[in-house]
Amino acid sequence: MERRRSGLRAFLKKNFDFITGILSEVGLTAVIMVVAFIICVMLVLIKSMI
Amino acid sequence: MIPALTREDFKVIGFNLCRIGNILGFLLLVPIIVAVIYREFDIVPHFIIASSITFILCNVGIHFLKTDKKMEVKHALCLAAVAWIFCMMLAAIPLWSTRTTGSYLDANFETMSGFTTTGLSLAQGLDHLPYSINFYRHFLQFVGGIGIIVVSLMILSKSEMSSVLAFKGEAREMGIRPNIVRSSRIILGIALTFMVIGAVLFSVVAIGEGANIGTSIFDGVNYSMAAFSTGGFAPHSQNILFYHSTLYEIVALVIFLIGSFNFTFHYAVLSGKRREIFKNIEIKTMFIVLMLSTLVISGLLLYFNVYPSASILFRKAFFQAASAQTTTGFGTVYPAQIAGIWPSAVLFMMSIIMVIGACANSTGGGIKAIRIGIIVKSFFREVKKALSPGSAVVTEKFHHIEDTPLTDTIARGAMLIALGYIILFVVGTTATVLCGYNASSSMYETGSAVGNVGLSSGITSPAMPVPLKITYIFLMWAGRLEIMAVLVLMGFVILALRKGVRRR
Repeated sequence: MERRRSGLRAFLKKNFDFITGILSEVGLTAVIMVVAFIICVMLVLIKSMI
Repeated sequence: MIPALTREDFKVIGFNLCRIGNILGFLLLVPIIVAVIYREFDIVPHFIIASSITFILCNVGIHFLKTDKKMEVKHALCLAAVAWIFCMMLAAIPLWSTRTTGSYLDANFETMSGFTTTGLSLAQGLDHLPYSINFYRHFLQFVGGIGIIVVSLMILSKSEMSSVLAFKGEAREMGIRPNIVRSSRIILGIALTFMVIGAVLFSVVAIGEGANIGTSIFDGVNYSMAAFSTGGFAPHSQNILFYHSTLYEIVALVIFLIGSFNFTFHYAVLSGKRREIFKNIEIKTMFIVLMLSTLVISGLLLYFNVYPSASILFRKAFFQAASAQTTTGFGTVYPAQIAGIWPSAVLFMMSIIMVIGACANSTGGGIKAIRIGIIVKSFFREVKKALSPGSAVVTEKFHHIEDTPLTDTIARGAMLIALGYIILFVVGTTATVLCGYNASSSMYETGSAVGNVGLSSGITSPAMPVPLKITYIFLMWAGRLEIMAVLVLMGFVILALRKGVRRR
């Protein structure tokens, strides 16, 4: 169990940049989608006020 | 003065073309694995015949055209241009012989659409196609997306130089590593990583939506290949709408947005340079263009009461805008609705973003975000120059992996490619209008073909006129090659016709 845990830690340490890189890119796409959704909500709000 | 062409010039191109063809011969055998898994044994001979024809043709060519002459820039550009046509004609054989398409021309259209990751389709009865044929269509996009020529040269290249030259010919200048073979392997590694992630996510969501496990996994693999390759083919006639799932659409958005990013950017971010996300001119340009287009398109659709709520606007307007700009071609709106209920102004806006396109050195098409960023910065530089005293030296730089000074040569190059796309767009639109279609739908369909997008307003169908099918094949091909290689090939042919071909 301990060996498996240290193996996982070594894997994460070795591939830290790669894994955080993938998460960063997924995060970037999430930001794009959130901003786009906010634009859609704002437009609907503006139309409802006019 | 340009020297006349020699036989050796043609031999260099022909010899390397046949070597690339041999790789295609192997790739044509891959769908057989799917055919065997799904017990579609009647399909197997079609792929074996296509592969055999390819091997025989290419090995006869290699025997007769063998040469030791080194490849030069002109050869590399012509090779890049001719290779797409050559591969299209051979890869079309299984689609034609299995009657997936109505004619050999339609099969060529489908293959070119696949290889160029466009996604416009003339396949008949998509929902009833054999699994192996459906896999083959998506596999074409995967191969085209990561660059059949890059893959071929990665495996075949004797000298680094010839690889670099052909790589540039395919409009994928890059700087991941000085060693082009290692660069190609990195591209393949990045693509496979994201494609596996995509396939798992698509499959899990489909299973969660109640689809059976087998179909979910098959669809997941195909949608993932099409999404990361920004291709747009789908195993169902309803495209991404088949599952009627917001989550499925969000997974598609994540994968095709990532697929539209520059491979050099991927490499930088995956090697720890995460600040690149905030500094890269291409990412910033893409973000600004996508948000502006979402604002305009959603605003217009809301104004004309096409869609009433924010969630529907997100699923229809933003999804379509993102699909258009990343040049993917997945659609959550049926072509008939786009042509029938979307206002012309929206179609015009969509045409513009389809031509602008995704990031350079990605699987996407179009002018590319980096060139748009450079052109905008050049305008600012000229305005600054005009406002500064005559003796002042105005400099501008942009950040793409590293800070680069914005020179006149870089700006001119970006503007020339943009001009080439605009000319293609105008020519294509005119040809479509001349075939009897209305102007806004023609612009939309042409933008889709030139930008290698795949969204359709309904013009692309087996019933479209033959001249228009040929025009769209040309547009998809020229758009994928960013015009330059096509112009060099034309120059090559004209030179051969005017000056003849010397023995030495």
